[in-house]
Amino acid sequence: MAEDKKMFSPALIKGFVTVFIIVIISELIGINSFPVGIATVTLLPMLYAVIIGMLVTPGLLGKVVPGLKKLVDKEVVEFAAPMVMITLLPLGVKYGTLVGPNVVKIIQAGPAFILQELGNVATIFVALPIALLLGLKREAVGASVSICREVTLGIMGDKYGIDSPEGTGTLGTYLVGTVFGTIFFGLLGSFSLATGLHPLALAMASGMGSGSMMTAASSSLAASVDPALSDTVLAYAATSNMLTGVTGLYVVLFISIPLVNKLYDILEPIIGRGGKDNG
Amino acid sequence: MGDLKMSKVLEQLKLLILTGIIILIGQRIGFGNEIVASIPGMIIVIIISQVALILKAMFPKVKLPTFAYATIIPFLLSMPFMPTADWILSTTGNVQFLGTTTPILAFAGLSVGSKLGVLKKLSWRIVIVAFAAFIGTFFGSAIIAQIVLSIQGII
Repeated sequence: MAEDKKMFSPALIKGFVTVFIIVIISELIGINSFPVGIATVTLLPMLYAVIIGMLVTPGLLGKVVPGLKKLVDKEVVEFAAPMVMITLLPLGVKYGTLVGPNVVKIIQAGPAFILQELGNVATIFVALPIALLLGLKREAVGASVSICREVTLGIMGDKYGIDSPEGTGTLGTYLVGTVFGTIFFGLLGSFSLATGLHPLALAMASGMGSGSMMTAASSSLAASVDPALSDTVLAYAATSNMLTGVTGLYVVLFISIPLVNKLYDILEPIIGRGGKDNG
Repeated sequence: MGDLKMSKVLEQLKLLILTGIIILIGQRIGFGNEIVASIPGMIIVIIISQVALILKAMFPKVKLPTFAYATIIPFLLSMPFMPTADWILSTTGNVQFLGTTTPILAFAGLSVGSKLGVLKKLSWRIVIVAFAAFIGTFFGSAIIAQIVLSIQGII
């Protein structure tokens, strides 16, 4: 990053101008809530920002709109990736100020925080049968072992090799999460209230080891609940996310991987689509 | 001790200040927070963020993401029994939580737009399985949390 001798490199200027415009448009649209069936969906500026950001990249609208490529070029896309880490820091500070005042409440809820970490294993029971019914073979093991963030990608790459069928499955879920994760959880966060589960339980569930997914889920959840509860929702989500950061590795290594393999052996002969191999 | 270069710190500070300016203008539009009144809070947010980056560079062997440092410092400063609690909460209170999220997601969108091509090559079935995995994790944790919180009498 510091290789560039100039104070403001072209990529930096174009990158910040692009983001500045995206932020202004997104904030002007503002927060929108509307009912969908029995649920209320809350759309936050961050959702518009991620969608506009994706659209203006050279591979999408950049192909169609001639002038756009001059502002948003490949260098901007490359500049954007490390900037995500930098821009996450002010959010991290805000999360810290939400957790601190709630520290007593969080310690009281300690048992729930620790036990709900095991809920991540439920992924296997939901996703593996679906993967097998769709005809996936060993890719199913990799794709349904967890929500496949960086830690899982590392473990699976180490254990099976990233170009193995299992590794391909994990990479698939990882990529889907990277591209659609914030949009998906941004919608799920507010929609999930319709299930009748308590906002604090949903807040804990929002912390699953990905900073951006947690932010999307918990922010839209916080925007949809009673304002008196929204700070606690954000504090619970941030705490649960930190906890997953610590426990996630061990849950995947010692529980999820053995379990998904066991379940694969049991279910594959029953519901797996025989013969057709999806290499 | 890790490698800590002044030029790198200044480079990061520059990026943080530019991000701070975008957040200040964004939250003025989205939430009506006065820009000038929010500057002291933003300066504190930027300083803590920069300290987090410095700590990360100083202790490369500690496997904590920079984000964790950025969260832990204000967490400690804002605990109810800390003398700094009122000060940190009132100043950073002018920086809107949601205001800080918009630029992150704008950069995230820009950086993943190019990955759509890679996704197209993967089987559509993996997309469905991935969504099932997300739903499984989310509701698995939510249901356990609901049960335990009810038993504890918290909800």
